[in-house]
Amino acid sequence: MMVAVFAAMLLALVMGRFGPAWLAAASLASCLGLFVWLFLFEIYSQDYGFRMPWLQL
Amino acid sequence: MSAAFDRGELMTAKLNDLALLSMMLIIATILTAAMVLQYAYGELPCPLCLLQRAAMFGVCFGIILHFRYGASARHTGVSLLFALLLLIVSVRQTLLDIYPRPGHSYIGSAVFGLHMPVWSVLIALAILLAFAIKLTLLGSQVTGRPATGAFGKLAGLASLYVIALCAINFVSVILQCGFGECHTFGYKLL
Repeated sequence: MMVAVFAAMLLALVMGRFGPAWLAAASLASCLGLFVWLFLFEIYSQDYGFRMPWLQL
Repeated sequence: MSAAFDRGELMTAKLNDLALLSMMLIIATILTAAMVLQYAYGELPCPLCLLQRAAMFGVCFGIILHFRYGASARHTGVSLLFALLLLIVSVRQTLLDIYPRPGHSYIGSAVFGLHMPVWSVLIALAILLAFAIKLTLLGSQVTGRPATGAFGKLAGLASLYVIALCAINFVSVILQCGFGECHTFGYKLL
């Protein structure tokens, strides 16, 4: 999934510099969605993630 | 009166460009340093570290748009959004590592006495502070022209450098994580 975050970010940067604005915005929105999803996965995954068992939120 | 007003407006636009170019160059330097630590010293980034890098690229995205299309509050908004994400991720990682437990110690070596997530907190705060100061002193230019001349070329080169850094990171992430979860043990595809 991290690959998808960086792929979307790279596409957004390239389109932001050279391509149409709508494609840059769409890529960035995809990246943002993947970013948030991956972050939530990382901090809530019991087996693999970065949980903080000493903090009950 | 009008000429003086135009000169003032031009000066404000140039200061705005200078501030944003400085921010992009500083972020690019930080990302370069992180990559030197990764490739020269073998300090592989953890998943949250990679997300922090992505957030820094997101801040640069807003600045790249500024130099291509001209000043806009939207571009500033994008950069601020990613600066906020950088702060959230780095604070989370700092809170995680502040309580040592097996397998979850700080990743990487300390730089000037601070570990990477703590630096990321400071970097995120510095970016937010820089935008706050810039907006306070220069105001928000709702419209503006793209930078031209030598300054525009320098901004274009800096943008290309950031894109190259992102491309290298993209390849590096493929090698480290493959198409699954990331680990700091080694490069999955090497």
